[in-house]
Amino acid sequence: MKFLEKFGEPFQKGKPLEKLYPLYEALDTFILTPGKVTKKAPHVRDAVDLKRVMSFVVIALLPSIAMGIYNTGYQILLAKGLSIEFWQCIGLGLSKVLPIIVVSYAAGGFWEVVFAVLRKHEINEGFLVTGILYALILPPTMPLWQVAVGITFGVVIGKEIFGGTGYNVFNPALVARAFVFFAYPAQISGSQVWVAIDGFTRATPLAVVADAGKGGSAIDALSHVGYTFQNMFYGFIPGSIGETSALACLIGLGFLLITRVASWRTVTGCVLGLLAMSSVFYLMRGPETLTFFALPPHWHLVMGGFAFGAVFMATDPVSSAATNIGRWIYGFLIGVLTVLIRVINPAYPEGVMLAILFMNIFAPLIDYFVVEANIKKRMKRAKGQVKIA
Amino acid sequence: MGVFTVRQGRDIKIKGAASKELVNSPLPSRIALKPTDLRGLKSRILVRENDVVKVGTPILIDKLRPEIKVVSPVSGKISLIERGDKRVLLRIVIDCDGRQEPIVFRQFSPNEIKSLSDQDTKVHLLEGGCWPFIRQRPFSKIANPSDHPKSIFVQAINTEPLAPDIDFILKNKEQLFQAGLDVLKCLTNGNVHLCMAKDAESKALTQAQNVLTHQFSGPHPCGNVSTHIHFIDPIKKGDIVWYLHALDVLRIGHLFLNGTFLPEKYVAVTGEGAKNRVYLKTIIGAPLRNLVEPENNKGPARYISGNILSGTNVGMDGSLSLYDSQVTVIPEGGRRTFLGWLTPGFCSYSFTKTFVSSFLPKTEASLDTDTHGSNRAIVLNEIYDELVPLDIMTYFLVKAVLAGEIEETEKLGILECDEEDFALCSFACPSKVDVSGIIRSGLDLLEKES
Repeated sequence: MKFLEKFGEPFQKGKPLEKLYPLYEALDTFILTPGKVTKKAPHVRDAVDLKRVMSFVVIALLPSIAMGIYNTGYQILLAKGLSIEFWQCIGLGLSKVLPIIVVSYAAGGFWEVVFAVLRKHEINEGFLVTGILYALILPPTMPLWQVAVGITFGVVIGKEIFGGTGYNVFNPALVARAFVFFAYPAQISGSQVWVAIDGFTRATPLAVVADAGKGGSAIDALSHVGYTFQNMFYGFIPGSIGETSALACLIGLGFLLITRVASWRTVTGCVLGLLAMSSVFYLMRGPETLTFFALPPHWHLVMGGFAFGAVFMATDPVSSAATNIGRWIYGFLIGVLTVLIRVINPAYPEGVMLAILFMNIFAPLIDYFVVEANIKKRMKRAKGQVKIA
Repeated sequence: MGVFTVRQGRDIKIKGAASKELVNSPLPSRIALKPTDLRGLKSRILVRENDVVKVGTPILIDKLRPEIKVVSPVSGKISLIERGDKRVLLRIVIDCDGRQEPIVFRQFSPNEIKSLSDQDTKVHLLEGGCWPFIRQRPFSKIANPSDHPKSIFVQAINTEPLAPDIDFILKNKEQLFQAGLDVLKCLTNGNVHLCMAKDAESKALTQAQNVLTHQFSGPHPCGNVSTHIHFIDPIKKGDIVWYLHALDVLRIGHLFLNGTFLPEKYVAVTGEGAKNRVYLKTIIGAPLRNLVEPENNKGPARYISGNILSGTNVGMDGSLSLYDSQVTVIPEGGRRTFLGWLTPGFCSYSFTKTFVSSFLPKTEASLDTDTHGSNRAIVLNEIYDELVPLDIMTYFLVKAVLAGEIEETEKLGILECDEEDFALCSFACPSKVDVSGIIRSGLDLLEKES
């Protein structure tokens, strides 16, 4: 503690490194709790703080990270036709995934510090989550400079120009991904980017179904190239690093719900929306409809990035709706839009990223209607027209 | 008449409840009145240092409504008048002579009280110094005698942490209490609502006449006045309701039946920093030094007049605030823990489930004044709605206040609230946002504009 104080001296007011105080402050409160006391009522405070909340999201991501690393290595060995050995998978996976995570944290963290210093606020721990989320929704072959450019865009345009964590309209990790998605489509879409071997082609399950034409059986199309419900659920399929395993997302979700960090309403809304819309398509299936119509609704849950998006992106409390009814609607529409984009939009095989970004825009509008309804209800009640309780 | 079950809210269960034992505290040698306690009073002082006063001598009046008087709770001599910046009155210290000589006003029999006119009742309350105990909503300030409230609420339930048990204090005071209620009935054409706990046993409450009784059950803040008003007779713009605490109803009853100002206060001494945790019978304005025996080996402590959620940090040398019936002493925080955001937290207290302690059997917690984190923008907003039983969009109300949208705050129902209703939100917010303080500033702004 003494050491920290001594180390912090040059950062205090009037000292040479005064401008870098946020950097020192972040380090200082990272190591030791701030130790401030309340000034007025309420005199006591809950033991939780934002650092803890954010680090719990990162903890919830650990299964997805581990699974992402393993699967990246697994896909390489599988493509090369070599025998699958656990430690080899981990080693290969680490060599591909770790640089992406490091670059994402370094580049994003740099901007976080720049803005904290310029705007003289404390460095916000929200970036701990953004940095890893972004890395996990990239393909393992992403060039590192594009990783850096993407997270720069996400942090600066997606978050900091709005005032930082807590004020952003969009989920910054998704803004970053959307940026690279549209800026460098060759490196983030198609069927060449999902397995970390140069020139190796393997389409993701969503692309397989999208390309299956009309009238066929979606399940047959998938099993033809070796995709079953089980291996999609466990995550042994090509895809973005962290999104392939629905199981890992489910474990993360359990953790977030038990600790009550994520909103169960939003997640439930997403799942219901997805099942509802895909059921509609499933019931409409026939010889003249796209094969995608014939995909059983529950298969949608384990394919693509839906599980990851619903658990870790849609539940971002800042960019999602902020009323309880709003959260249901917001989640439900994310599910609906995801299926719409997947099934009947020919341009993008995956829809969850765009669905969430789109609903980020609409979240304030949903809230607006919920709040207006509340105002009207109160007006009526004060006039004695509605009896409550 | 009805039973209301409130779901939202939480009880903060901490160590240090007062045992149900009433002890007479000796009359302190000096007491202090704090005009800063009296929201809505522009105080003008009527006495000078060294003036001799009796129990019931007017000390302060309101500049705009001079009929509102604050009277001395003791007989003795004014020893100090302390002023702050811009000559704001901070404290009036009175040396007690121990005789407690009262000024005697007219007495009424219980039957006479029932037939009093609105005007006579007001005059007697104002003269006798009981008026400042009657407050109004919106704005939680001292009521204006020329208003006609649509109803009057008597708060006979406390749900704050370690709050005094009203049942216990009201024991054997049925007559005074009923007389007080009868007086209140004379003040309004509407109803007098007596709000009590569902398990209230005291006869003063259960057998109260001439009022509508309501029972509330649920976690804090189900005992707050805003909750009662919200469920029973909600207010909109232009409405005024008056409210007062059950223990101050005794004071009114006493003034009418016995003709003197009742200066007594029943105070629960609570919190783990206090050794003598009992109910004390003391006097308005008593210094905390006289009430609390500190635990010696516990390090620095915070002395709060009131409870941990809405009380005032007055310090050991401070005195009891006018409306408080509780003193809480808790240890000061400020210790820095290593990697606090990652510790499992075997004895951390949190509404969230992010600590091991959340999954352990519930025991009474030991809380200090540490903030446990730094201030951030609001990120998790779902928790607010779980803590406020009022049908109010807390997060949007807070945002409207911060944006200075006065009309919007009014539409969102700020007039129904008081800062104490959001104390749990301030407590629980992981971003350490002072929600209750923001609401207070919104109310202040609205009051200034209207």
